[in-house]
Amino acid sequence: MTTFDATVAAAQAGRIVPAGGIVRFGGDARRFWLLLAHGAILLMCTLGIYRFWLTTDIRRYLWSNTELAGESFEYTGTARELLLGFLIALAILVPLYAAVFLLALSLGEMVSVIGLMVLTLLGQYAVYRARRYRLTRTVYRGVRFHQTGSAWRYAVCALFWWTLIALTLGLAYPFAQSRLERFKMRNTFFGNLPGRFEGSGLRLLLRGFVLWLLAVVPFVGGLLSMLLAVNWRTLASASARDDLSTWLETSGLASAVVYAVLTTIWLLLSFALLYPIFQAVVLRWWASGLRFGEVAVTSRLRTAQVYGVYARFLLYALLFTAAAGVIVVPGSFLLARLTGELDSMAKEIITTIAALAAYVAIALGYSTIYQATVRLGLWRCVVESLDLSNVAVLEQVSAAGEPASPVGEGLADALSVGGI
Amino acid sequence: MTSSGAAIFFDGATSARRGVDVELAPDGLRIRASDGAVLAEWPYDRLETLSAPEGVLRLGEADSPALARLEVRDPQLAAAIDERSLPIDRSGRRERRMRAKVIFWSLAATASLVVVAVWGLPRIATELTPLIPYSVERKLGAAIERQVRASLQSHHTGAAFECGSGAKEKSGRAAFAKLMQQIETAADLPIPLTALVVRQREENAITLPGGYIYVFQGLLDKAQTPDELAGVIAHEVGHVAHRDGTRAVLQAAGLSLLFGMLLGDFVGGGAVVLAGKVILQTRYSRDAETAADAYGVALLNRIGGDPRGLGRLLSQIAGTTHPGPKILLDHPETAERVAVIEKMAGSAPTRPLLDRAEWAALKNICAG
Repeated sequence: MTTFDATVAAAQAGRIVPAGGIVRFGGDARRFWLLLAHGAILLMCTLGIYRFWLTTDIRRYLWSNTELAGESFEYTGTARELLLGFLIALAILVPLYAAVFLLALSLGEMVSVIGLMVLTLLGQYAVYRARRYRLTRTVYRGVRFHQTGSAWRYAVCALFWWTLIALTLGLAYPFAQSRLERFKMRNTFFGNLPGRFEGSGLRLLLRGFVLWLLAVVPFVGGLLSMLLAVNWRTLASASARDDLSTWLETSGLASAVVYAVLTTIWLLLSFALLYPIFQAVVLRWWASGLRFGEVAVTSRLRTAQVYGVYARFLLYALLFTAAAGVIVVPGSFLLARLTGELDSMAKEIITTIAALAAYVAIALGYSTIYQATVRLGLWRCVVESLDLSNVAVLEQVSAAGEPASPVGEGLADALSVGGI
Repeated sequence: MTSSGAAIFFDGATSARRGVDVELAPDGLRIRASDGAVLAEWPYDRLETLSAPEGVLRLGEADSPALARLEVRDPQLAAAIDERSLPIDRSGRRERRMRAKVIFWSLAATASLVVVAVWGLPRIATELTPLIPYSVERKLGAAIERQVRASLQSHHTGAAFECGSGAKEKSGRAAFAKLMQQIETAADLPIPLTALVVRQREENAITLPGGYIYVFQGLLDKAQTPDELAGVIAHEVGHVAHRDGTRAVLQAAGLSLLFGMLLGDFVGGGAVVLAGKVILQTRYSRDAETAADAYGVALLNRIGGDPRGLGRLLSQIAGTTHPGPKILLDHPETAERVAVIEKMAGSAPTRPLLDRAEWAALKNICAG
């Protein structure tokens, strides 16, 4: 347990928790680190095939260490199911890709645009079906969760709302979240206890509006002034062979570049500073909107906690970067010495493989740190911030629902639109 | 040895939590409510360990549709149940053995997929290529041609993309047609060729599926004799005859399936996928280039040209191209190629493919 964990735990212990409504996370962070590091090495060696087992291990760890009113959750899914789902998804997607390719050849480019839209729709369909799989593999007190509702309807709704979000530069996001979450939750059941969602889109908009003003407005402004700065006619007529500096001047490209740089800096800065606030606002709003029958959830998540999670990620990432530098720099010298005698082809092959391995190891390192700090940290913060009212209702639920197929997970994996 | 103890039971029908007495009967666990009524009897060989927080032994009945759960927190009782039941794996030894098996087989699967990518895919693509009708290849070529034309054309403004349409270019066009006619007649291909000289500065020539051959203006400028130009075109015709473009499309599709869908879906995997694709594709293409050289030499011999022209032009270009890593070369090394061409060329009698005036006109095909 690190000092950070200890502080959080102490804070937890000191807090007065309403009787009966306690959610706890009892996971040992070291075990999670070990699980991830082990998994990262195997992912690298199997070029990713191990991901089904790693995903299952991660879910088992998170679920079984989350305790509500003294009873922990249970994840009953298996890696074998995920692998099967992935293979079925391939059997669906490969002919689909081939058909889109062949149709595009004979009917022209329009088909690829339609194909892309079908794939986006299929991605949202997969998101909904994957959620169904995860819910039906979640067991609490010997009763499973389940999800009804048409995944295609969800996909169409999601596509509509995401288009609207793009068109309104993000202003539609709160309403989209509220609508989509309502769709998901009114189709979600714990046994025979129906779920619903009561978060209001307007309320989320009001809470996040300042963030939107700070992040999006300067960004769009910068983008617009960049476009306006360019004298498009000069840009089109002058050839690059002419005097470069006057051309840069008259075409307005120089000032456009300045605007672009400023906009990018603002984008990165506002993202780094505001994203944790945004995430805290959305998570708190989301968790506080969850209902199961008479059980109402509220969240006491503090923004500082989310900052703490990211600060920890940054700290570990910096340490890892330093360590990687200490290994990679002398390592590459050593490699050059060792391969000095070999002919150039063998040398190139060895160098390429070594560089790839180093790159993958470093990328997986960052990903492992991210999972162990941000994902676990947020899970812990959110879970421990929850209060539940009328928790006694959870003791009188009858079992209902059947396990769903893992095809949605497979599709989501193959289309890279995964969730947890 | 403990033969009974307290535990928590969920019957799988409702979420009610019950404190129960667990009795270790000879053939299985007997779960009794506090009033003594038997709630469930689970044979030892059907017990199943389920994921649970540390310090809790969570049991279920294997293959049972109901999700009845027994949670044992008393370590002595847990040990006693573990002792009697074969399927229970409290130490995790069986799980570790299973996991080792999984790891072994996923490593084996990865290795065999990589082997398929290196050796199997080119063979499969070679076998499949003849099965693709020429009409499909032609359509594929037309689609690719549109894209290539669009991507090349954007680099320059004003003059037409292809040479030979202007008034001053007419005679050059006729000379090019004469050269192409000799080559095409001798090649006797199942599909018509569409050969063009295009306004591009690079010293290169490309072949697309469906018989499209683009000779770049930069290459034509470098060529000093009709034989040199004819040599390069004959090499490109070799790609058409061998259907290398179509095969490359099949290989690329196969590689995308292997690297991208089956393998490489993890953080950092993008680099592996990219490197795998590029290195393997260039490897496939080196073999195709060698075959096209041999075809070009034979074709030039048939029309009475001097096959050494190809070698000469290649050596000239080689001096100007940028050196790079060898594993990223999509053509074999030039010196090696020239040596092989010289060896194959033989000493058949040659005749001029174009007369002096025609060659001069052809050199001016892009005069504009």
